Amino acid sequence: MKGMDERDPSVVAKARDGDRDAFKALVELHSRYIYSLAHRMTGNAQDAEDVVQEAWLKAHKQLSRFEARADVRTWLHRITVNCSIDLIRARRHREDAHDPADLEQGPLSERGAEAQPTPERVAASVEISDRVNEALGLLTALERAAFTLRHVEGMSIEEVGAKLGMKTSATKHSIFRAVKKMRVALEPYAQS
Amino acid sequence: MNNHLSEDELILHSYGEVDRADRSRVDEHLASCAECLLAKEKLARVMTMIDTAPPVEAPLGFERTVWARLEPYLEVPGVSPVHRSASKVYDLVFGKTAREGGWLPQWALAGGVAALVIAAFVAGRFSGGDLAAPSSAAVAHVEPDRVLQSAVGDHLDRTQMMLVELANAEVDGADVLAGEQARAGDLVAANRVILRSAIQSGDGQVVDILEDLERVLLEVANAPANATSNDLTDLQSRITREDLLFRLRVIASEMRQRQIDDREAGDPTRRKMPTS
Repeated sequence: MKGMDERDPSVVAKARDGDRDAFKALVELHSRYIYSLAHRMTGNAQDAEDVVQEAWLKAHKQLSRFEARADVRTWLHRITVNCSIDLIRARRHREDAHDPADLEQGPLSERGAEAQPTPERVAASVEISDRVNEALGLLTALERAAFTLRHVEGMSIEEVGAKLGMKTSATKHSIFRAVKKMRVALEPYAQS
Repeated sequence: MNNHLSEDELILHSYGEVDRADRSRVDEHLASCAECLLAKEKLARVMTMIDTAPPVEAPLGFERTVWARLEPYLEVPGVSPVHRSASKVYDLVFGKTAREGGWLPQWALAGGVAALVIAAFVAGRFSGGDLAAPSSAAVAHVEPDRVLQSAVGDHLDRTQMMLVELANAEVDGADVLAGEQARAGDLVAANRVILRSAIQSGDGQVVDILEDLERVLLEVANAPANATSNDLTDLQSRITREDLLFRLRVIASEMRQRQIDDREAGDPTRRKMPTS
């Protein structure tokens, strides 16, 4: 974006006033961050891309209500988390109609396009991030969402339950299952 | 030491969410039980590993892809959706004009009424209804219906052709992906214009296939330089799994039939479109 410094606070103000270049500058600055967050919440690239798109559309609609003094990344973070939850909940409703066992029918990694590890993925799995992502891939969508909201977003279990539309006891069990799976998968690599 | 802490209790403890009633019991136990303390430390190491893992990075050029996908959906005060569609289709059919910045000024459309008709056609094709007859100026302009039918029909045909090639490519010929990137990029742009019209007209079935197509096309357009045979196999499985070719053929076939019907009827303004 020539002539447009994304770090300039006035960029947000300009975007709020309908300046398309300013909004584009924000998109270019924050999309990678939003993607990483969405990927952590949803567990696969395709859903993460959809969440990014949805988050920007919401941000664009809500831009007029954004306080210029607030931190834009924090604002986008919140929108992205909410969009991820919407996607997870919508899918849960759809799958409920199909199978009352909700999202507990299997890990994300068995259902997404990333299920089959390529030789490159296997070779690169020595990296911590790959280990962690593989472990996260063992979680169901609901376990992953509950775990991420509790562990990464720092919400209380009660807040996580409210966000996901679950009772506190069910939320607690989702988090327990998630942590246990993560521990079993990662403990061999988490030596001091 | 009997009555060790459960793993659930250790997890709650690590999150500071042990019930008030149990808190002192858990703390006291941890202070006196080496086994539970060790379990707690192991859990803490796992948590640290999760915390320190770098996030998954977006693919190279992701920001540009996001903007390209996003831009057509953004509302612009004073610019109607048809105008925006027309601008995009105008570029696709007639090539990039001298304008910069993405939106076509009114005057630029004066010499290209066909573009407006194309956009309207695209919208009408997905609404399944009759379009209002174009203005006499539009009809007089070098058979705009032919142009627009070619634009949409060509897109579907070209997409189908590429998918057939990919679906039938030898598994060890992963470089086929690299060879298709430019073509896939062009198809993504055209696909978005049509997709946008389909969304506006609320044709869920068509939106579904165009969205599925876009994902596959993007996958090809953004394939890594060192794409492997596994990447190609994944793509082929996806094409098969989603019945993309079959669904594409149905729509393309309906388009061709419409062109034939229009030609036979000799009425270029008749637009009863297929409903698939």
